[in-house]
Amino acid sequence: MADTSPPTPEPPAAATAQIGVDSWVSEEDQRREGRKWLGRTWERLPPAGKLALLTPAIAVPFLPLSEANIYNYGLFILIYALLALGLNVVVGFAGLLDLGYVAFFGFGAYIYAFLSGTHHEKGHVYTHHWAAQWSILTAVVMCAVIGLFLGSSSRRLLGDYLAIVTLFFGQAFVVFTNSADPYGITNGSNGLGNIDPLRFFAFGASFTVSSTRGYYWFLFGCVIVVLIVLHLLSESRTGRAWKASREDPLAAEMMGMPVNRLKIMAFSFGAAIAGLAGSVFAAAQTGAFPQNFGTQVLILIYAVVILGGTGSLTGMLAGATAIIVSFQVLDSTSPPNNARTLFYLSLVVGVVVIFKKSRAQMAVAVASTVALGFALHAIVHEVWPRGTSGQVTSGGYLTGAIKHWVLLPTNPNRLAVYGYLALIVLVITIVQLKGWWRVAVVPPTIVLTAFVWENLLIQQPAVTRYVLFGVLLIALMATRPQGLFGTAKVEIA
Amino acid sequence: MLLAIWVFYAVYFSPTQGWTFFLQLTVDGIILGSIYALIALGYSMVYGILKLLNFAHGDVAMIGAFIGFGVLTLLGGPLSPAIPVVALVACMFVVAMLGSGFLGLAIERFAYRPLRDAPRIAPLISALGVAFFLENSVLLLFGANYRNYDGYDLISYNGIHLGGSAGVFVSYLGVMVITGALLLMVGLVALVRWTRFGKAMRAVSFDREAAAMMGIDPDRVIATTFFVGSALGGAAGVMFGLVYSQIYYLVGFLAGLKGFTAAVVGGIGSIPGAMLGGLLVGLVESWAKGYLNGNVADLVVFGILIGVMLIRPQGLLGTPALQKV
Amino acid sequence: MKKVMVAAVFAVALAILAANALGSAKAPARASASSLATASVTCGKLRTIGMAAPITGPASDIGNQQVRWAKFFVKRWNASKANRNQKIKLVTGDTQLGVDTAFAVKVAQSFKSNSKLLAVVGPAGSQEVVASTTAYKAGGLGFVSGSASRTSLTDGHTDGNRRGYFYRTVPSDAAQGPTVANYMTKTLKWKRVYIIDDQETYSQGLADGVQKILNAKGVTTKRDSISQKDSDFSAAIAKIPSNYQGIYIPWQLAPQAQAFGQQLQAAGKGHIKLFGSDGLFAPGVWKIAGSYDSAFPYNPTDPVVKAYVKAHGGNGEFFGLPSYVAAQVDTLAVTKACKAGHGKTTRAAVRKQIAKTNIATTILGFRVGFKSSGEMKLPAAYGIYQIQKNGSFKRIG
Repeated sequence: MADTSPPTPEPPAAATAQIGVDSWVSEEDQRREGRKWLGRTWERLPPAGKLALLTPAIAVPFLPLSEANIYNYGLFILIYALLALGLNVVVGFAGLLDLGYVAFFGFGAYIYAFLSGTHHEKGHVYTHHWAAQWSILTAVVMCAVIGLFLGSSSRRLLGDYLAIVTLFFGQAFVVFTNSADPYGITNGSNGLGNIDPLRFFAFGASFTVSSTRGYYWFLFGCVIVVLIVLHLLSESRTGRAWKASREDPLAAEMMGMPVNRLKIMAFSFGAAIAGLAGSVFAAAQTGAFPQNFGTQVLILIYAVVILGGTGSLTGMLAGATAIIVSFQVLDSTSPPNNARTLFYLSLVVGVVVIFKKSRAQMAVAVASTVALGFALHAIVHEVWPRGTSGQVTSGGYLTGAIKHWVLLPTNPNRLAVYGYLALIVLVITIVQLKGWWRVAVVPPTIVLTAFVWENLLIQQPAVTRYVLFGVLLIALMATRPQGLFGTAKVEIA
Repeated sequence: MLLAIWVFYAVYFSPTQGWTFFLQLTVDGIILGSIYALIALGYSMVYGILKLLNFAHGDVAMIGAFIGFGVLTLLGGPLSPAIPVVALVACMFVVAMLGSGFLGLAIERFAYRPLRDAPRIAPLISALGVAFFLENSVLLLFGANYRNYDGYDLISYNGIHLGGSAGVFVSYLGVMVITGALLLMVGLVALVRWTRFGKAMRAVSFDREAAAMMGIDPDRVIATTFFVGSALGGAAGVMFGLVYSQIYYLVGFLAGLKGFTAAVVGGIGSIPGAMLGGLLVGLVESWAKGYLNGNVADLVVFGILIGVMLIRPQGLLGTPALQKV
Repeated sequence: MKKVMVAAVFAVALAILAANALGSAKAPARASASSLATASVTCGKLRTIGMAAPITGPASDIGNQQVRWAKFFVKRWNASKANRNQKIKLVTGDTQLGVDTAFAVKVAQSFKSNSKLLAVVGPAGSQEVVASTTAYKAGGLGFVSGSASRTSLTDGHTDGNRRGYFYRTVPSDAAQGPTVANYMTKTLKWKRVYIIDDQETYSQGLADGVQKILNAKGVTTKRDSISQKDSDFSAAIAKIPSNYQGIYIPWQLAPQAQAFGQQLQAAGKGHIKLFGSDGLFAPGVWKIAGSYDSAFPYNPTDPVVKAYVKAHGGNGEFFGLPSYVAAQVDTLAVTKACKAGHGKTTRAAVRKQIAKTNIATTILGFRVGFKSSGEMKLPAAYGIYQIQKNGSFKRIG
């Protein structure tokens, strides 16, 4: 790739900078010291210890949940964790941008649904009731093979071109399953319903996973196994070679690494994991439908990988938890008060992050935010009573505070739209400002955010979450491209 | 070549329809293709200068279409326009182009400029984020309903019959779209070829560092490129709304995807390539819909794209990427 | 920064999880799937029924019509003094039809584990019915849809068996096809009909059915399909021979029919009449004058219908009308089951009452009761409407 960007500005030379030593590298120890003991201990823990700590940490919160919450939270966190782990191999380890990844998820689901179920369509009857282990295995292997074929196109295609080809591959998958299949294998837009639960037959005995809890534990096992395999893989020759070819394909090739073969391997490996996730997903959902595998799901998986930090295994689990919990909380089936709690909590976190350098600024900003809200409410209440006479959406413990702090017009539709547009402008302004100027702009922004939230966003949490994920991707890229758990990379100019 | 054989085969063996049908499809394809070409130009210009696949471009065009619809509604709607129709249409185009142009500027400033020196994958993901943000903001603010421009009510249901009443028919609206697109493209070529900005743009896309050393401000040139590309997208959005009447929040995704296909088939980064690619994608789509079942048309278009990528990754008029170390 | 963010993200995630855990811990002990159907539920003065509908997403327009109609019923029911000790609470779940069928399954899962919930209205789409059947059956819940009209849903095998659980207050597509085909041949005397589906099952099923009948009656037909995402119909229109008399478009998106009609007219083929289906029954959106449309029956003179139209600014939103009846069926069944069980009931008992439904006068204009398959006993004929110059729909057959 032609890299014409100007060299990255050198970081300010540290006292320990030496000639011939990259100051970023030499500072690494210092930085490591800077982290508090919790982070240090975590880093020093052997992988097995990390796993031993992580496993119960993931499992325990789900134990007391109801079936529906296990389905909505537990199952989806694990499925997205699995998907993210797979995508992480492609994007994080090998550095390939795969925009058709979600198609492999779909292939897995459709292959399982086709092989373990009965379908009548367009005069064809397909009755295969394969044992689950064979269907899943077939799905995984098929995905790996398809990945191999698609990946081998990357032999001729440089970075961006791979993104293009895979993007269209993903689109073609959706079009194909939706409408273009003449034999009824995918059953068009109806998808394949009527499929078996996970039924394993071996040595004459049979074992069926059919409850939500059962799927949860089965997936849990899958995630642990995949985690262990990926950890071993990333420490192996192949794993190191992947990272080397990601950092600098040319140099890696010079060192005698078969860069193309490595890329294809990563591609195919990621596809296989997606296939596994897909087949379990189909069984748990009791169906496979074209819309399960559209762009929105792709964005969600990318959000998990990016937030967690490409290349980090722990990050994938953390990312999946954060993304799926916020995704489910911002669902219209979840009580609006959960969403509201999440919203105001993140607002607080946002303020803390913005002013982490200066306590004084933070105090001023918080105080003036609170004051501004009440003042505005009082003024509007006098001048334009209808501006404060609206109802708080679905009450809850914050009702009192909201009623007196946020403007709630009787008929907020148009005002809320203008507020939303103004909010975009204000947020953009904040990003540009520094120091006390920023302190001045933050309070009105927060008041406006609350206004837009209470009058517009909380009515449509399901759309809001997608808006927020879009913003999350942009903001993370601009501020912390390595995500939560990733390691910052030094770009070699 | 294969395409020519297929078209000939389809026409020759299609028993009832004959050449008139083929020509009708071709004319329809050209109308569709000119819109795709305008969208493709935005992709290509940005790629040419930044080496960035701006996935959000289709959605910028969608917002252009919504702005045009807003102007149309504000000025009385298609059935009872408050000002003369010509002025109204001009107004729609100007406001939509300015609006999406400034939107493009803002996107460049806040989503892409901070990432100028980041790894290549970062701006791509940021672009996905922008696309997602735009689509869902429109969904949030305006709902998921389809909206009808009713462009034929506004302008005219009539048109030109070529070769008698049984011959090929082009509506005046179609003629307007083709001429409008041509004018915009000619304007763009003139801009790139003969103005200082055009020179600067070509210089920056050839070698940004060297251009900067020669006293060109790359940031300004890039911003202007975004403005021009997005304005073309906005114009395409309004044309789309006028001819095909319905717009909704995801319309930019599909149209953008086709425009993107066009840019890639023509050779991404090449301006004439984008025009050629747009035309080609429009024609292929129209023919595929005409001769095959409607539900495989998209597959054919994507299939051609993947084929072109495998055989000639740099596209029809693109130059092969050289790897500099 | 990193630590702050990590800690924040986890704090929020855990807080939410904890909130949910507490919430579910308060609920009575979880019953296993099979016993959910027979678990005893105390009725109390406020009984809960669920409603699964596309509240957001591309089909939100029709979904919200359904919710408004169902809520209209609940409001009227609760307002009646006779019902002050047997009020109904309607819990809605958003299935986002057209975005992802997975949402319908999620809604079904949460209805299933809501132990207070006794019956369900919806889901809206036939594909959603297929997808969520497993969850509803596991929870022992009866579900009554006001719009899932795919014929094969009730045949007991094609899309799985849901007898005893699934009922619908809308006639199946098998009832609509013959009405439409008869009107085309007998009244309009069409000899050549072009048929275009929109690639969704609803549409394909209707198109198949009508085409079959028309062919049997000696009418020449030709078939094409467009996608719900299409805006450019020029190629499809170019294919339509000028000497055809009608185009049958059983679609779901009225704005699409409007765009199609305009492009047809602009291509000089405006003399060919369009014929739509109940999915296009949207006065004011689809307004190509002279087009025909079939819509499910309702009684426009019923006081309830009049009250609804008045309360909603003159807009009938008739697509949601059968959901009113579905809510009525659920409510009556719950009420009867509670009465029979003396203040206690089970989901299984409610299902039995749904099966025994017998409402003499409904806003559909006829008596509503169910066959064992889940279909209504009396699927009265569909009505045929014609679009007038001012965009209104006038009943002509």
